Amino acid sequence: MEETVIVAHKIFKAFGEGETEIQALRNVDLGIKRGDFAAIVGPSGSGKTTLLNILCGLDNVSSGEIKVSGRSLQEMSGSELAQFRREHIGLVFQAYNLIPVLTVLENIEYVMLLQHVPAADRKERVHTFLAELGLEGKENKFPAELSGGQQQRVAIARAMVSKPDIILADEPTANLDSETGGQLLEMMRKFNEELKMTFVFSTHDPQIMERAKRLITLTDGRIVSDELK
Amino acid sequence: MLLKLAWRNLWRNRTRTWLSALVIAIGLVAMIFMDTMMVGMNTNMVKNATDSLMGHAQMHALGFRDEQDVKLTINDLDQALLQLEKHPDLKARSLRIVTQSMLSSSGGGEPVLSLGVDPEEEQLLSKFDEAIIEGEYLDSVSGQKLILGWKLAEKLELGLGDRLVLTAADAESGEMVQELFRLSGIFKTGEEKMDASMVLVARKTLQSMLKLEGRIHQIALRYSKLTQDGTPVNPLKKPDDSSKNELLLWTELMPSLYMISQMTDLSMAIMGTILFLIIALGITNTLLMGLYERMFEFGVIKSIGTTPWQAARIMLFEAVCLGFVSIIVGLILALFVTALFVNYGIDYTGIEFSGVTFQEKIYPSYKWSRLVLYPFMSLGFTLLASLYPAFKLWKMLPVEALRKRKF
Repeated sequence: MEETVIVAHKIFKAFGEGETEIQALRNVDLGIKRGDFAAIVGPSGSGKTTLLNILCGLDNVSSGEIKVSGRSLQEMSGSELAQFRREHIGLVFQAYNLIPVLTVLENIEYVMLLQHVPAADRKERVHTFLAELGLEGKENKFPAELSGGQQQRVAIARAMVSKPDIILADEPTANLDSETGGQLLEMMRKFNEELKMTFVFSTHDPQIMERAKRLITLTDGRIVSDELK
Repeated sequence: MLLKLAWRNLWRNRTRTWLSALVIAIGLVAMIFMDTMMVGMNTNMVKNATDSLMGHAQMHALGFRDEQDVKLTINDLDQALLQLEKHPDLKARSLRIVTQSMLSSSGGGEPVLSLGVDPEEEQLLSKFDEAIIEGEYLDSVSGQKLILGWKLAEKLELGLGDRLVLTAADAESGEMVQELFRLSGIFKTGEEKMDASMVLVARKTLQSMLKLEGRIHQIALRYSKLTQDGTPVNPLKKPDDSSKNELLLWTELMPSLYMISQMTDLSMAIMGTILFLIIALGITNTLLMGLYERMFEFGVIKSIGTTPWQAARIMLFEAVCLGFVSIIVGLILALFVTALFVNYGIDYTGIEFSGVTFQEKIYPSYKWSRLVLYPFMSLGFTLLASLYPAFKLWKMLPVEALRKRKF
């Protein structure tokens, strides 16, 4: 039986208080297994990004429990959460989320530097990913010198290079044209199949929905369907 | 990596960084320049005071300074002189007879302070020989020549060669005794008191007149090695109370002058603190602007595994980098500005301050410890200025920062 890397149990999340309170998530139960390639879909305001933020410990729950790789996120301090994300979770945001003053190489190795990965190992892993993602020769370019698609590939490399248990991607193709978006998705699918990496997307993109092995649909903060394809 | 990130962040808005660096640098220049001028002024005042009459130190019999009693001469003079001869840093000494007396001429009389000196010894200690404006300096340890200040000469309408009578109480009986002298020179020291009420005569003549043969009221000393404050590096050991003599440094002989230099240090410290605090507030504002502009970016940095303390360190490193750039710019500017004044000086000649008249232009003078202290102060205050932005960054929740995205 495959290991469950994320367990969300009876998650509630509210923003605001009193009359202005908005329930973003209501009684969400979710399990993500190792090797999943899952997409959380739903209309705008349905709670997709909130759920993703909660799954990686960027946001707190109002009630309920989240366990990632067997560790309860609610019990961790801000510093512990940062270290936990560094070791176990890779994040991919919408486009333009690289550190603009660092080169491609430095952006990719940033997390590994925080992890104190030895230089030789770091170099090898960076170059492997650069080759896999077709970014050879761009090592010393700054993000502003790259196209949107290239920047997103660097972001994917940064998220994956430290070998996390899970990659969470918030609308990773939202700012890309469909061809570039499709290529990126193919790459991620390849990593998912070859390296057994776990991917969870929040998306509106039909391309992602088409390629996802599992579709979780959120409406008004509730999971209304969870289907395996 | 965090340092590299901070350094590159600093140069994202070059104009703002250079302006901030310039503000700190100008503060540093102001502090260094003011300090060098203050040190220069103090050095000038101390030099004027110690070069004219006082010397760096003086030895007297206990009580002489307060009572000015002609009978109070240095006890066991031979032993005292032996002690002085052994000291390696002693450059010059002048054995003096000092007495209050009345100087009379055909034009009238004036109370004066009479100094009996050996002209050769005195030449090495004070600058009376250089201050002669008319006639000549004394030429012998005995004889009837007398020199006095130009103001006294004017008051008594004296000219070179005029005969003068000095009247004072002798040391044996306290009876008034008189001696005839001839005016051989007129000096102008620039010191009001000396120019208006002091006469110098040959020491042996005055000793004989006051029945003080072989006895001395005062030994003025000049050291060869001085600290930047003008105090001897290796001062003579103070005599025991049993000797009934006292040996006082100029800091004790003229405490007001010493106090001024101490007060200068204190006022510079207060001024520096206020100046750097004002600058620090400006830097805090600049760093906060930078923080708010890059809020989303810091959100990304924190969300991918940078701990709150590591994120705060980025801000602290930015401040340190800014501090170092400012220090380099500030030191270059400060050296340039002070070098200008080292060449030209500031002319306060003739102005009297705390009993000392400036005889020369004031030139900036460095205290190396301060050249280290002020840059460290500016770095410290820059770092202090970054504490609040660093704290904000430390506390900032990545999810809230990610919502600040600029589209």
